[in-house]
Amino acid sequence: MNVILFSWEYPPRAVGQLADYVKTLAGQLVKNSVQTYVVTYHDYLTGGHDDSDGVKTVRVSNPVRTHIGVLTWVLTLNQEVERVAANVIYDLSKKVELIDAHDWHFIPAAVTLRKAFDLPFVYSVDSLEEHRSHGANSPFNMAIKSIEWLGMYEAEKLLVKSEWMRDEVVRIYKVPVEKIGVVSKESATWIKDILETYRNVAEGGGSK
Amino acid sequence: MSQDLSVMMLTWEFPPRIIGGISPHVYYLSKSLAKSGTKVYVVTCDFPGAPAHEVVDGVEVYRIDSYKNPSPDFATWVYLMNVNMQKEAAALVRSLGGKVDVIHAHDWLVATAGIGLKHVFRRPFFATMHSTEIGRRNGIHFDYERMIHETEAWLTYEAWKVICCSDYMIGHVQWAFGLPWDKMVMIPNGVNYEVYGKYDGEDLSQFRKRFALPEEKIVLFVGRLVYEKGVHVLVNAMPKVLDKVNAKLVIVGNGYMKDQLSGLVKGMGIAGKVMFTGFVDDDTLRRLQRCADVSVVPSLFEPFGIVALEAMAAGSPVVVSDTGGLSEIVEHDACGVKTYVNDPNSLAWGITKVLTDDGYANWLRNNAYKRIQERYDWEKIAQQTKTIYNDVIGEYSKSFWAQPIA
Repeated sequence: MNVILFSWEYPPRAVGQLADYVKTLAGQLVKNSVQTYVVTYHDYLTGGHDDSDGVKTVRVSNPVRTHIGVLTWVLTLNQEVERVAANVIYDLSKKVELIDAHDWHFIPAAVTLRKAFDLPFVYSVDSLEEHRSHGANSPFNMAIKSIEWLGMYEAEKLLVKSEWMRDEVVRIYKVPVEKIGVVSKESATWIKDILETYRNVAEGGGSK
Repeated sequence: MSQDLSVMMLTWEFPPRIIGGISPHVYYLSKSLAKSGTKVYVVTCDFPGAPAHEVVDGVEVYRIDSYKNPSPDFATWVYLMNVNMQKEAAALVRSLGGKVDVIHAHDWLVATAGIGLKHVFRRPFFATMHSTEIGRRNGIHFDYERMIHETEAWLTYEAWKVICCSDYMIGHVQWAFGLPWDKMVMIPNGVNYEVYGKYDGEDLSQFRKRFALPEEKIVLFVGRLVYEKGVHVLVNAMPKVLDKVNAKLVIVGNGYMKDQLSGLVKGMGIAGKVMFTGFVDDDTLRRLQRCADVSVVPSLFEPFGIVALEAMAAGSPVVVSDTGGLSEIVEHDACGVKTYVNDPNSLAWGITKVLTDDGYANWLRNNAYKRIQERYDWEKIAQQTKTIYNDVIGEYSKSFWAQPIA
């Protein structure tokens, strides 16, 4: 199975705890015979590509260097994410089973790739704008929420890390509870649950 | 009709959504391409009352949800709208089995969608630069402007060819983004001269009376009443014109300088010889252009100057300032009169010359109309565009992107 993980943070670049989580996940996937590609942001702590522990990492930087906030920065980085993800997809003769997008940043790229290649994606929700911004609803917050919503609507499956988050996703975004899987890293079946989700999503394809 | 080529046009405006010049440009270009057998898919922003999908003059038009939540600012809205545009366009290309040969983006307003689609579908990509941030703002002063400027730079970098509508804009865009000259292609803007044909033989004398006395010659200005259009230069030229000819200046358009201009006119004591009409509908405008004895375009800055082309198509002699795109459109003494920029004396000389010599005015009229048909005919422009598409497809076919996937 070929899987591409999207995450805006990946070691050595760690903004929060998501970087380490995705790193552990990628390593475990490789151990379970999943060919794993990670597409992430390049802040020059590393080279553009590396291949440590069998995980193929591709890092992109933003062609637009000047920004007025994180939102415009994210929205112009997505095309570079699409570019390198498309390169992986074409190099593998389009035999990629799915994308697992961690948090909202690269949801636009995941959605476009889904439409273009009939390639399903999983949206792994680490946190939500509602909690990060304490319910603020400025146009800035609403834009991020609309991207989260787009991801939830277009994803084949959502993965969250706790039952509380599952209930919050249902409460805030009215997502059918059956669409959400809870995978806790503390659980003994963590990677097994993720692999099972991947297999189910891959079988279903992207033609929702 | 054989459909040898299919093109996806990305534009943030397409009729009935009209904000500036891109909307009519993409409409006429797409329509003329479709007429010559090219399949054209326009992906654009939605508009109240306009359907999500329709066929307009042979062009497939798809209107996408253009992100209607309040946005922090215009640029962020543009990028958010592009998320939806890219998503819908990707679904469309897939539904066509990938049968889109080239992707063509108009201005930075659709840059991110176009760039993403280029890489996802690995297609030849074109950008028409209608304007630039550095030109609009007369320099880059803030991060917001720099962000747009860098987005434009990225778009021109990603494009296989960068198209501009005048030699002036070619030079400007090449300078602004440091582009290689062989990447730049000049294809002029067109004008739909056929719309003026329906007024042929119509008696406009009653219509004309709404604007001027029968014995007054009509000097027409059409444009936004803003500094760079130079209306104040024209007003300052009027006393010299009135010394020689009984004329009336008709000013069509609106803008922040309106009050200032009407104050100037009153102060100069020529209020009886100047009429401000404000905005007028297309039909009134075309009739006015038909009965104008001279149309004046006194711009201080003008990337293209479509209003001069429209006047020439309407059969009105033109007097323009020798700047930007106007310098290229008008050949002096052949199809119009060129005058010094920002010089009321020069402008008055040009206007007076046209108004006092009917033979000369008719000579300009006839030559101008011929020139319009030769150079600014949309079907010819579509043909030039198609040639560029095919040239690039030829280059592209030798690249690894064009090779079939194993």
